[in-house]
Amino acid sequence: MIRIAAVGDVHFGTGSAGSLRPALAHLADRADLMLIAGDLTRCGGPEEVRVLAEELEGLPVPRVAVLGNHDYHADKESQVRRILEDSGIRVLEGEAVTLDVDGVRVGIAGTKGFGGGYRGACGTDFGEPEMKAFVAHTRKMADRLERALSTLDADLRIALMHYSPVEETLQGERLEIFPFLGSYLLAEAVDNVGADLILHGHAHHGREKGVTPAGIPVRNVAQPVIRHAYSVYTLDSKRVLSAAS
Amino acid sequence: MTLGRDEYLAEHVRDSLIHDPRVNEQDVLVRIKERRVFLGGNVSTRELREAISVVARELLPDYEIVNETTLVPAVEPEDEERVQ
Repeated sequence: MIRIAAVGDVHFGTGSAGSLRPALAHLADRADLMLIAGDLTRCGGPEEVRVLAEELEGLPVPRVAVLGNHDYHADKESQVRRILEDSGIRVLEGEAVTLDVDGVRVGIAGTKGFGGGYRGACGTDFGEPEMKAFVAHTRKMADRLERALSTLDADLRIALMHYSPVEETLQGERLEIFPFLGSYLLAEAVDNVGADLILHGHAHHGREKGVTPAGIPVRNVAQPVIRHAYSVYTLDSKRVLSAAS
Repeated sequence: MTLGRDEYLAEHVRDSLIHDPRVNEQDVLVRIKERRVFLGGNVSTRELREAISVVARELLPDYEIVNETTLVPAVEPEDEERVQ
């Protein structure tokens, strides 16, 4: 059994020190790895992410993250990423990593993702350059995610993103803002190559559970949704290993 | 943009809460009724809760600020989910 601790949208600011660490005291007893689904900071300031990096420092499980829209606000996302990676947190953007967890190869592909909407009610790359750029950005994120997932040679595959791939986990949000909360292109990318679990954040008023059209479980781990420091999801590694053999 | 008609004031408050570096919070619910500003939603720290009131008060000093936000600290989960 592989145990995944996941959380998104912790939105750390310079005054957040000590707000998360006490709740991570038993993390190593409960999880094999920790995944963070973006919006690590309030406005993408290096001084904010340093507070979070210190909060997560020394945790005895591998940590993998993607950035969210808040982490881009100060236009210092490269610095934010470097600070996280210097503290041992692997950051993915259109990239993948494989971890060995007790002999099980756990592959994680990640991207921030972006918006655009969902089947039957989505933006298209038509008209003004601004609209084309909006949709092109989502397509680029989705294409890179699909490529990253497809390169994984792993027993379990997880897609980690900030924006939501499905509408189901947005229920509770106002319908008018769905196009700013995610895109079906992210779900299509994962469905094309397959995965065992998709984790995302961003939708603070959404709900936790959803599924893609191909049947891949989706979990919205935005902290305001899960209302805890993290959620734990277990995936049956024996089933996967058996299937692989 | 200058503050104009009352109908737009709540959105100006929301905009300030999003962009003011003391808050940078997109999730605060803002409602204005009879010169009272009601602020709602969940916040993660006491400092953030106080900053939300300060920023709203600075924008609308002649309005009463009613901070109804709820402090929700991060705590350990009680259980886990087996994903099928």
